[in-house]
Amino acid sequence: MQARRYDTIARRVGYLARSLVPLSLLFLSGCSAHGLSRQFLLFRPAGPLSAADLRFTILDVAVMLGIIIPTAVMTTYFLLRYRKTRASAAYDPHWSHSNLIEIVVWTIPVLTVALLGYESYKGTYAVNPYDPRMIKTAAPGRAPLAVDVITTDWQWLFIYPQQHIAIANKLVIPRGTPVVFRMTSATVVNDFFIPNLSGMIDVMPGMRTKQVLVADKTGQYKGYSANFSGSGFSWMGFRTHVVSRSGFTRWAQAMEKSPRHLDYAQFNVFAKPTTNTDGKTYAFSQVHARLFDQVIKGVLAGKVYTTRLPPPGAA
Amino acid sequence: MVNVQGPWSPLIGRLSLGAIPDNPIIAGAFLFSAVLGVVILGYLTFGHKWGYLWREWLTTVDHKKIGVMYILIGLVMLFRGFIDAVMMRTQQVLADGPHSPGFLGAAHGYLLPYHFDQIYSAHGTIMILFAATPILVGLMNIIVPLQIGARDMAFPYLNALGLWLTAVGAALIMLSLFLGDFSHAGWVGLTPLTEMAYSPGVGVDYWIWAIQIASVGTTLGAANLIATIIKMRAPGMTWSRLPIFTWTSLSTNIIALTSFPVLGVALGLLGADRYFGTHFFTAGLGGNLMLYADLFWIWGHPEVYFVILPAFGMMSEIIPTFAEKPLFGYATMVAASFAIAGVSWSVWLHHFFTMGAGPSVNTFFSIATMIVGIPTGVKVFNWAFTVYHGRSRFETPMLWAVGALFMLLLGGLTGMMLAMPPINYSVHNSVFVVAHFHTMLMVVIYGIMGAVAYWFPKVFGFKLDEPLGKRFFWFFTAGTIMVFIPMYTSGFMGMTRRLDYIANPALLPFEIAEEIGIGLYVVSVYYFVRQLFVSVRDRASHRVGADAWGSARTLEWLTPSPVPFYNYAVTPRVHARDELVWRREQGLEAATAAHYEDILMPKNTPVPLVIGAFAMTLGFGLVWRIWWLTDASFLGIILTVIARSFVRDTDYVVRAGEVRKIEQGLRGNTPGTGGDGTQGGVGVWRPQESGS
Amino acid sequence: MATPSGGMDVAADGLWEAHYHHDAIATRTLGFWLYMLSDAMIFAGLFAAYGVLSHHYNAAGGPTLHTLVQPLSAYGETLAVFASVLAYGGAMVALKNHSRTGVLFGLGAAFILGAVFLGLELRDFAQLFQAGIYPQDSGYLSAFFALVMTHGLHMVFGLLWMAVLFVQVATQGFTDKTVYRLLNLKLFWHFQAILWVLIFTFVDMRGVL
Ligand code: HEA
Ligand code: HEA
Ligand code: CUA
Ligand SMILES: [Cu+2]
Repeated sequence: MQARRYDTIARRVGYLARSLVPLSLLFLSGCSAHGLSRQFLLFRPAGPLSAADLRFTILDVAVMLGIIIPTAVMTTYFLLRYRKTRASAAYDPHWSHSNLIEIVVWTIPVLTVALLGYESYKGTYAVNPYDPRMIKTAAPGRAPLAVDVITTDWQWLFIYPQQHIAIANKLVIPRGTPVVFRMTSATVVNDFFIPNLSGMIDVMPGMRTKQVLVADKTGQYKGYSANFSGSGFSWMGFRTHVVSRSGFTRWAQAMEKSPRHLDYAQFNVFAKPTTNTDGKTYAFSQVHARLFDQVIKGVLAGKVYTTRLPPPGAA
Repeated sequence: MVNVQGPWSPLIGRLSLGAIPDNPIIAGAFLFSAVLGVVILGYLTFGHKWGYLWREWLTTVDHKKIGVMYILIGLVMLFRGFIDAVMMRTQQVLADGPHSPGFLGAAHGYLLPYHFDQIYSAHGTIMILFAATPILVGLMNIIVPLQIGARDMAFPYLNALGLWLTAVGAALIMLSLFLGDFSHAGWVGLTPLTEMAYSPGVGVDYWIWAIQIASVGTTLGAANLIATIIKMRAPGMTWSRLPIFTWTSLSTNIIALTSFPVLGVALGLLGADRYFGTHFFTAGLGGNLMLYADLFWIWGHPEVYFVILPAFGMMSEIIPTFAEKPLFGYATMVAASFAIAGVSWSVWLHHFFTMGAGPSVNTFFSIATMIVGIPTGVKVFNWAFTVYHGRSRFETPMLWAVGALFMLLLGGLTGMMLAMPPINYSVHNSVFVVAHFHTMLMVVIYGIMGAVAYWFPKVFGFKLDEPLGKRFFWFFTAGTIMVFIPMYTSGFMGMTRRLDYIANPALLPFEIAEEIGIGLYVVSVYYFVRQLFVSVRDRASHRVGADAWGSARTLEWLTPSPVPFYNYAVTPRVHARDELVWRREQGLEAATAAHYEDILMPKNTPVPLVIGAFAMTLGFGLVWRIWWLTDASFLGIILTVIARSFVRDTDYVVRAGEVRKIEQGLRGNTPGTGGDGTQGGVGVWRPQESGS
Repeated sequence: MATPSGGMDVAADGLWEAHYHHDAIATRTLGFWLYMLSDAMIFAGLFAAYGVLSHHYNAAGGPTLHTLVQPLSAYGETLAVFASVLAYGGAMVALKNHSRTGVLFGLGAAFILGAVFLGLELRDFAQLFQAGIYPQDSGYLSAFFALVMTHGLHMVFGLLWMAVLFVQVATQGFTDKTVYRLLNLKLFWHFQAILWVLIFTFVDMRGVL
């Protein structure tokens, strides 16, 4: 008796917990006017790459829900309709096979996977950073801007080889211009990610990966490392400023006056393990033209920026 | 040997007093474990239980007892993993936004980054390798021989060895709490972060050896189970009559047998880098860190199917029992299990689509991944058609099974999203992935919880308390929803995983919702423990007959509950896929054999335990680089194995008269015969004269 | 399916099978095949690692295959392995004829030839170390040594096993246990020979050609 009462209570709590979820979503949509919806970075693409990612997300979810929802409904219906306590329901204690059902049951997923597989093929080629068709069509005929990215423990260094400038923990790019990134890491693997602008690509020591993006809208966007890299990882963010093209030129000219310079020796000092807790940025001018290659070469020759015992952040 | 940072001495290696952490949280954990240990030791000593423990458990080769011990280890580790989860969630809810407070020396929250990183690494490692895997192996150990009508497993000693090696792995992880530290590089051991240059402590070494030793055990166990299923079936138990759980066990152990060695290679080479200074996975000097990712995930992906296939098998046993109808589409269920196992080998790259492989490679692995959805979908549909025209009863095992089914739909939906590279590029390494795999792993946990409730009476002779079990289920489910649904949402907000500090304050509402979910989980654990307690206390009134649920279908429900140590007094002959149903319909459910025979059983032996003890000192010596200890332990293992091979009489005979006495005793005390005599609407087994 | 099979004799004695026994040796042998499958996966992993790490940049400017491989010595090792397997085959024939001395003789010969193999291999390693070539020098060398040494380690354990079995056959004769161990060691020994052939073709031959 007592047990049954508890049971109902427990079930009610279960219901309550479940209804809290949609409620919390409602609460969010209520706030959307005040900017919370803007926090759904993946739903607010500011460039063709992330727009494509979003398009494929919507497509995939729509197709999958087309199967998942009917399946869930059907299963629930069967469970409730053919429950033991409902004596009037049909009961067939031996039925366990039907060729027709088996055929249908295999065919539906096969066809769906065929469709999704095709879309996946299209999508993968569409956002392929090594063959950026999206970019070519999005910004035809614009001379691309080159940016070399080097990650350290735990900072980002963005080098503009054409301008001989570099800036740490902040990325400035002009609107409407394709930006071609080359990336490498001085230490461990990181993952370059600007949710509003582009998908992720790993940044690996001793290797070179690429990303290409075009920003459609000016503004500030969050960027960060998406691959765990050690104690300073949570603070390894950078701000991306998308500015007008003339704004970019002005910024680059101002940067050239910066007193700090950067060659490989200075880089090795910069690359000492540092957790960038307060989001500091550093500007460099007269950056060595081949710094990026030197870093890769150094890593390949066995250069490591060793962590000391006890590791940073340990008690 | 490579030079290590810090002091080293030939006698005690890297050990020093400084290895004992002075963190108040760990001190608390230590106090708790110490008190628990003292209580247990005291009970054993003053209750004069040592002899019992030694004879009945530590030296046993009985597959059921070994299974029970596997499950106990798994539950303890599940609890530990849960505490880790509570700590992580609490850290994240506290450390959200630049203005969040800091305690215990942390800038935000109460955990320092390095400590937080160890927690999630330990959590992932423990949950997958030391909670889910042992519990599943334990359940397979107990049930598979019973389901195929075997008296024992093919290699009972090997089986015990597997258990103790798993225990050693678990013990090493627990030890890392109090002595030294644990890996901070995730359960996947990201290279080159795990290399000496970036992880100079002993943490990664603990991680390597805990897994390495335990996975030897799992591999041995897999060989044992496969041989058992192939060679030890009762007469009449043809392949087309094999219970579906046994089928999934077979497919899953084929995965284990072939994939764990690859993990062994990955960890072995990583160990070589750390111990000898080789360059397999370093960034420079000709190493290739991506090779590690490949080797790890060639194991890692099949491993997640290793844990889900038995869960599918459990669902396939529970649903027909409680729908009182045979499983729909037996043949396709079997085919689907092997299809999943087969395809699982060719999808590993989907864990690093972002590593910059060309689009053709990514497309290949994307489509291969999606193909897994086909047989999985077939399974879901078959379960749905099993309840169609059935008579479903919602006892606890059924609740868990149905819950698992719905989790699978959600996890499958999100898995299919991740499998598409353009989507993966934007949610890889985000908490969206975390939510995906927890949803999937919840299928496993739900399957386990259902299976424990379902087969518990078979092993112990009494049922778990139903009302408390239901409460456990509902609170657990509420917790799961509250924790993981918001996590999907924050994934779309761009929140990455493994964050000890969350820069974006807008995520706070989600963190709070998840913390409420943790509260619900805590309540559910309370009900689980209470359920165990109450069920054991009131076991007299929870006693059951051979067929505990009244509508069970497979062979294991034929022999008395609890199962005698020889499983079947006389080997049963199998006539149908659902043998028990067949006998029930023939009115032969209660028939027992006319006369008994002598039974040959393997003797207990301390050898597996001794090897386990050496493996423990070996692991410890390796972690702390105490070379004399490692050499001595290794030699000890070899000598023990050789000595054992000279032992000639390893079996003993149970006389027919004794078997008869045991059988009569077991069948005589069957309750439920008083009162209304029915349970779940089907007549329970009644004692009957043998041979009638 | 739960439907009763038609025409079945359902007398109670058809329900049980007294005197039901499993073939212990067949079970053991199957178990050993399964073990070898997992061992093969270890070597598959090592071969894969070797393949991945054998590009020229994995040598990091250090020595490559051509400097490592001593074709003559590798050839000698191959001969030793094959002769050892052949000798073991002789022991198996003797087992069929229930000749204990024959088995012991075959085992002894196989052991000695296996030891010759190991001796040659150790000499190779010693020469490499003398030339200043170590596994620590580059990713390529790491992979090379890992592959060859893992095989060597298997040979060591095979020899240890052979020695123990020699003693057991000598003292206990042909029991269930010694017989299935002889059969399993045969599998193991052949397996090591096959692996050596693979190493020979994919490592040594490629170095020579
Ligand atoms: C089987 C695997 C498994 C299971 C069951 C769980 C269960 C849970 N996990 Fe876990 N998790 C992982 C596998 C698993 N996890 C892995 C692999 C990772 C990745 C690690 C990495 O990044 O490297 C991870 C990471 C991970 C994170 C890190 C996220 C990040 O990277 O930012 C978080 C954070 O919230 C989390 C939370 C939880 C929670 C709340 C549960 C809850 O569901 C827990 C519910 C459990 C219980 C309520 C326990 C019930 C206990 C009993 C019934 C036993 C009682 C017994 C006795 C008293 C003896 N998990
Ligand atoms: C038990 C565990 C389990 C299971 C069963 C699965 C099942 C699947 N997983 Fe998951 N996965 C994990 C555990 C699991 N996963 C873990 C632990 C990780 C991360 C580890 C880490 O990084 O720490 C991970 C990560 C992971 C990734 C990488 C994410 C990333 O890091 O970027 C991907 C990408 O493809 C993926 C995909 C899939 C797919 C497609 C399935 C499929 O098998 C799902 C199939 C099921 C269905 C599709 C639903 C039922 C089907 C129907 C109702 C029919 C209709 C369906 C179709 C038409 C397709 N998983
Ligand atoms: Cu992939 Cu470097
Ligand atoms: Cu996977």
